[in-house]
Amino acid sequence: MNHPNDIQVDAAVLSLRGVSKKIGSKKIVDQLSFDVQEGEVVGLLGPNGAGKTTTIRMIAGLISMTEGDVFVRGSSIRHEWKKAIRHVGAIIENPEFYPYMTGYDNLKQYQRMNDWISNERIDEVVRLVGLENAMKKKVKAYSLGMRQRLGIAQALLHEPSVLILDEPTNGLDPAGIREMRDYLKTIAREEGISILVSSHLLLEMEQLCSRVVVIQDGKLVTVRSIGENNASGHEQKNFVRVLFRVGLLEEAKNVLGSQNDAEILQVAQEQNELLVALRYKDIPDMVTALGAAQIPIYQITELKQSLEDEFLKWTGGNRIA
Amino acid sequence: MRSFNKLVINEWLKMSKKRSFFIPYAIVAVVAVVLAWALKRWAGDMVGSAFDYTAMMSSTHGFGQFVAMLAVIFTAGMISSEHGMGTIKFLLIRGQSRGKVLASKYVAALLFALSLIVWLNVISFASGAVLYGTEHASGAWRDIWIAGGSSLVYSIVYMSLTFMMGVLTRSTGAAMGVGMAAIVLSGITIPKSFYKYVLFPNVDLSVYSHGGHPPIDGMTLPFSIAILAVYIVLFLGASFVTFKRRDIA
Ligand SMILES: Nc1ncnc2c1ncn2[C@@H]1O[C@H](COP(=O)(O)OP(=O)(O)OP(=O)(O)O)[C@@H](O)[C@H]1O
Ligand SMILES: [Mg+2]
Repeated sequence: MNHPNDIQVDAAVLSLRGVSKKIGSKKIVDQLSFDVQEGEVVGLLGPNGAGKTTTIRMIAGLISMTEGDVFVRGSSIRHEWKKAIRHVGAIIENPEFYPYMTGYDNLKQYQRMNDWISNERIDEVVRLVGLENAMKKKVKAYSLGMRQRLGIAQALLHEPSVLILDEPTNGLDPAGIREMRDYLKTIAREEGISILVSSHLLLEMEQLCSRVVVIQDGKLVTVRSIGENNASGHEQKNFVRVLFRVGLLEEAKNVLGSQNDAEILQVAQEQNELLVALRYKDIPDMVTALGAAQIPIYQITELKQSLEDEFLKWTGGNRIA
Repeated sequence: MRSFNKLVINEWLKMSKKRSFFIPYAIVAVVAVVLAWALKRWAGDMVGSAFDYTAMMSSTHGFGQFVAMLAVIFTAGMISSEHGMGTIKFLLIRGQSRGKVLASKYVAALLFALSLIVWLNVISFASGAVLYGTEHASGAWRDIWIAGGSSLVYSIVYMSLTFMMGVLTRSTGAAMGVGMAAIVLSGITIPKSFYKYVLFPNVDLSVYSHGGHPPIDGMTLPFSIAILAVYIVLFLGASFVTFKRRDIA
């Protein structure tokens, strides 16, 4: 095999290299490249129709790629699909099972397709997803949450290196979403497995993933590490956005405007508010300066830019400041 | 090979775990028993022995055609139901090649048709034995084999057609419709020379038994077998090529 970025490909559990999908004249996925490293939980984020499901179908080899390739543990999905797919466990859109069979019979189906899956392994994954008491029930009697769990059991059965989940919290209630998040974290830890989760639920991604890959219209928009932004060590050096509610707006504007490294981003006349970008470590100096000018301060709030705000900015949605 | 057998077991279980699975066997059993009794009651001298009755029932003119219809009904849903339920997405990401998966489905369909014909023969023989006894002339076994064998070929041909339609259209209705229409059409023969290259007049190989006349002049048993083989290869070829290349949406 001859491909660029050999070193990266070998280190990453999953890597996409210039993957494109064209249907008709429309590029549904366009030159998408990103990696998922060992043990990493990565979010694939994008609004409806961004191409998340299409990307995941290509990773699994369910649909062909127009361009590019996907490597799983260094094996090409295009050329060594069998070798590559062995390391992939996936749920694409909804987890669908044979409804007239029991949960156990459904898992047995997949056990027969890979000869290294033991009966003990079935018991193990069933325990991991907490479905011990539902295995003898027919799947048509399962709730959506139970089907999601069975889907994850199915995906883990053959001990994959990377789990690919397409909107796993779709249709779950808040408790179900929380539960799903918790046991995905458990799985990542206990099975030492990498996870790629697609979603348009940003909050979910923030709480689950260490990195998000944002796509829109099939194109990569940005790759962001989560966590990093919130680490206090970074905040010392980084600029933050602080909202000051003051008594004398014009005077406050003059004082803050004259400070080095502080920029007034917005002025809200009616509310007597100023939105200022400044260094975290400089906040006390600002307060002192305002105090020295005898300007009353009623409120100081740091405006954290949530991933949601950023997401909407990246994807061109209207941001509400 | 072992892994392929396991795939066939999977397919068999997918069929047999459905609650409706026993229905074709039940229909075949009820008809075979009731007909044996009715013929005895109202046409006492028509059937000589269990051998006669079995050969009659399992031939394409008896109940063999109905078995083919049942096989077509079951085959029609094999592919489309996986698409319809969405289970195909799990089925095709387990590291077994698409060709193997499709072949296992075809083999399971063949086993289903075979099991129905064996069942038809067993029940017919059993009910015939009770009502008519088992006295027989030489060649009675051969008649049963010819009847059952030609019914099996008949079923396989139409199942293959249905199988292909199922793969191509992903629709149970379309596949079943085409399969059934073909079975009905096979009764019609156009007495023209070109028609012998068409599937229909060749499907029922039992016409060549007992020195019978083929539907169109110039047709022979090897000719019909060759024609059927070509059609089956075409049906399966189209199925496999399509299934392997298809984008699973
Ligand atoms: N077979 C197809 N033919 C034509 N267009 C398609 C096909 N499949 C998907 N698309 C289009 O490609 C785009 C991406 O679809 P995709 O399902 O990958 O989006 P998604 O990110 O998963 O969206 P969602 O969040 O709604 O699930 C959509 O605009 C869709 O209409
Ligand atoms: Mg989707």
